[in-house]
Amino acid sequence: MTELVLFFIFGALALVGGLTVVAARNPVHSAMGLMLTLFSLAVFYVVQAAHFVAAVQVIVYAGAVMTLFLFVIMLIGVDKAENLSETIRLQRPLVVLVGLTVVVVGVFVAVGGRFAWITGVVGAGPEVNGTAEAIGDDLFTTWLLPFEATSLLLIIASAGALALAFFRPRRREGKEEGAP
Amino acid sequence: MDGWDVAIVIVKVLVVFALLLAATILLVWIERKVVADMQNRIGPERAGPWGILQTLADGLKLLFKEQIRPNKVEVGMYLLAPVLTLLPAFLIFMVIPIGVPFTVTLGGVERVVSMQGTDLNVGLLYILAMSSLAVYAVVLAGWSSGSKYPLLGGVRATAQAISYEAAMGLALVPVVFYAGSLSISEIVAAQSGTWGGIVPRWNIVPLFLSFVIFFIAIIAETNRAPFDLVEAEQEIVGGFHTEYSGFRFACFFLAEYINMFNMSAIAATLFLGGWNGPTFGLTGFVSWLLPIIYFFIKTFVLIFIFMWVRATLPRFRYDQLMTLGWKRLIPAALLWLVLSAVVVGWRQFGAPWT
Amino acid sequence: MAPDIDYLALAPEITLAVTAVVVLLLDLFLPRRQKYWTAIVAVLGVSFAALPLIALAVSDVGDRAMLGGSFVVDDFALVLKGLFVIAGYLVLLMSVGYVESDRYYQGEYYFLLLMSILGSMVLASSRDLITLFIAVELVSQPMYLLAGWRKGDLRSNEASLKYFLLGVLASALLLYGMSFVYGLTGELTFAGIAAEGAGKAGEPAFIMAILFIIAGFGFKVSAVPFHFWAPDTYEGAPTPVAAYLSVSSKAAGFVALLVVLYSAFPDASGVWGPAVWILAALSMTLANLTALRQTNIVRLLAYSSVAQAGFMLVPFAAAATTDAVGLGEAFAATVTYIVIYAFMNLGAFAVVIAGARKTGTGDIEGWGGLGSYAPALGALAAVFFFSLAGIPPLAGWIAKLVMFGAAMGAGSPWMIALAVIAAINAVIALVYYARVVKTIWMDPVPATAPEEEVRTASVAGSLGLAIGLSAAVVVVAGFFPSLVTFFSDATKVLAGG
Repeated sequence: MTELVLFFIFGALALVGGLTVVAARNPVHSAMGLMLTLFSLAVFYVVQAAHFVAAVQVIVYAGAVMTLFLFVIMLIGVDKAENLSETIRLQRPLVVLVGLTVVVVGVFVAVGGRFAWITGVVGAGPEVNGTAEAIGDDLFTTWLLPFEATSLLLIIASAGALALAFFRPRRREGKEEGAP
Repeated sequence: MDGWDVAIVIVKVLVVFALLLAATILLVWIERKVVADMQNRIGPERAGPWGILQTLADGLKLLFKEQIRPNKVEVGMYLLAPVLTLLPAFLIFMVIPIGVPFTVTLGGVERVVSMQGTDLNVGLLYILAMSSLAVYAVVLAGWSSGSKYPLLGGVRATAQAISYEAAMGLALVPVVFYAGSLSISEIVAAQSGTWGGIVPRWNIVPLFLSFVIFFIAIIAETNRAPFDLVEAEQEIVGGFHTEYSGFRFACFFLAEYINMFNMSAIAATLFLGGWNGPTFGLTGFVSWLLPIIYFFIKTFVLIFIFMWVRATLPRFRYDQLMTLGWKRLIPAALLWLVLSAVVVGWRQFGAPWT
Repeated sequence: MAPDIDYLALAPEITLAVTAVVVLLLDLFLPRRQKYWTAIVAVLGVSFAALPLIALAVSDVGDRAMLGGSFVVDDFALVLKGLFVIAGYLVLLMSVGYVESDRYYQGEYYFLLLMSILGSMVLASSRDLITLFIAVELVSQPMYLLAGWRKGDLRSNEASLKYFLLGVLASALLLYGMSFVYGLTGELTFAGIAAEGAGKAGEPAFIMAILFIIAGFGFKVSAVPFHFWAPDTYEGAPTPVAAYLSVSSKAAGFVALLVVLYSAFPDASGVWGPAVWILAALSMTLANLTALRQTNIVRLLAYSSVAQAGFMLVPFAAAATTDAVGLGEAFAATVTYIVIYAFMNLGAFAVVIAGARKTGTGDIEGWGGLGSYAPALGALAAVFFFSLAGIPPLAGWIAKLVMFGAAMGAGSPWMIALAVIAAINAVIALVYYARVVKTIWMDPVPATAPEEEVRTASVAGSLGLAIGLSAAVVVVAGFFPSLVTFFSDATKVLAGG
């Protein structure tokens, strides 16, 4: 029962946050909307007894990612209004059309499947164990390979971002940039 | 979970709340006295004996002052920020055990009451999460003020928080290795006893480097001198709280001192053995009281170091701050992390070639 | 509790990972003038990674599965790993001269390239959704960065951004579909999904999940209508990177698609068969028609590679309507096509790099008379372009042959229709491939061509080696198709044949 109540409260909050991200004119408000969504997700994890994931969610997303977002928004200046006029004709109506299609299909899937797909989930009974120990056991045995590969992904991201963002002083002119 | 359990929880929350407020009042006074002493001044002395009521007087003054709201502020965030700054400050302390549990009979059932708000199995991560939320208030306050100095303060706060959070988190990992748990109460329990009857089994002994890194990082996290670039008076007026006055300013002020107390308490818990200490074979009420006293002694020793550092060191330049964080502390913390992982692994599983 | 790891089976991946890290560290300590050592180490590392592959191929242990069946090294994986290693090797060779001559971050460049190769190797073996997704990311993420490696060039920035944004969108679609699959079946390994999802093929959510997954991989293999990034990205990215994108990255996408559709959704072939049919028909037709109007050689190759992706998809569509034997044939046909395409496309890109050096331009008009002052290069260009068009006796012909064989073998009217579409497209493709060759050999040298010494300067050794190796494979495989089919036949294991 508690779970259901919490789900509806924080599910609604997550949706509100998501809408804020899209609708807010001010990027800081968008960032705070995203923050709200991510925080609501953390609450979901707590409700599902995945405390470790919840804590990590807050540390990583709220603590690091969103802080960085805010930093960037503030650094490049927040007062510039976004130019929302569309250059490609018919783009807006098309987007609305496609969006509506997706919604209709989603509803169709939900109704057409008669919610049967919800029961396919492994029952979240007492055997669900979200402690650090359980996650560590899984991460370092069954999922060892993806785990290590993910660490490589992080190195890729940091090394590549540095190389792209950092300009060394030029020593000599290279060949013309236009030729392939 | 009956009514009594709920009551116990509520009492705990109230106790934490009162404790932190009282600690703040005391802290401000101590800080002014200590710093004054180090600078050959007298410090507050008029309000109450030794000026001990000075903070109360200041607080009352702030309460009754006019709350100015500048024209260009972003109202929602501007009003939200002071509240937001207090939340994590109070929440963090909920997982710190300040003494040994005691039993009490309520409603005919004997209940064990721990001296801790709640014992999460991911307590350490909870602390990190909450302390990472603390920066939002600063950032939002700086941004929503609609004024350039607060904005600069906000931007500085973000960069500083991200940089030093990494070092702080990394410095704590060896503690988890040694305790084998993320739960704060188990980390404290793992530090009981002594080596050879003399040296207490505190984490600071094997993990001294971790402690140093952690302590530097928490000074930066709480925006205290010499890392107080966020509110550097000589450079950016008051930093993020320039445009705040009256009670809203008091919120920031309060949060800063609560955070200092929190962080000292965390450092004492994780590295100085928490409430552990010699009990001299005493039993009963005294054996319950002693750990609490030990806990507060340790915490206040660390707070004294906070103040000592503030009175001694000049403020860092911004690039020095970043250099220290990224090029010194994080690599050191990483190396130390690997080293302690090897040591712990070796002890637990034996040499790799066996 | 220790994870069960078969170190020999993982040895190629470990070798590559270690090499990449060594390259990165080496880059840190080398003085600027000696950065070329990173290239040498990278090439050596890739070569060494091939050794355990050979050892695995000749060992008679059979399939090696580990980590609960998430990582399987069977013949299928080995063949594709071999392909990825060789393609990576050729791209490295092409990069050496290219990267040295510009203001590049060499160490990081090779590091990222090695990481992408590593990702494709992991991909070939992954048999569960998480490993597969991480591997796909490991392939793509370095490419997002490398596409923007010519930082001073706006087109390169555009290339990187476009590829990144669409790639991330594709990953999101992919993940969305995967999360549906996990929700429906409660399984992550393909075998488990196949078992659990046996009766669910008609369920709307299941269909939606499969379509999402196909769309996600559609971006990775740049099939129409998910191809918009390809021409701009290929044009702006450094050319070796474009070559890698069009070969390894695309092949990786195909492998992932192949493995997911066949291993995880064997019962839902009624769903993905038609979807693949549409993708194949659209890719071939639209891309070929657009390619006719291209004036830039790299853009032309980009559209050509989109069209080739359509050809590769044809056997997929066929497999949905046949039995186990036909499935095996379809498998072998796709892999044959991928292998041959890899060599001829790499060769074509290598020729483009060399030709762009000589002519100083990427416009096809500027290439006029290349055959007169660089006859060898002109001849090789003809080899690769005619092979792409599928002219016998070059290898591209074999690829087309097995593709048509698979399509006709299925026998259904839909497949015959697709085969007809493919045949028409093969003719259209011949027009623009032949036009390039005609420009090179028959048109006069344009007035804008650079002076004599630039035009006759010799091609860098490593690039020449890359061109030579690809050309050798393309020519020899054309005469001895069993060279390729021997390997691709081995991949029938995945079909259970």
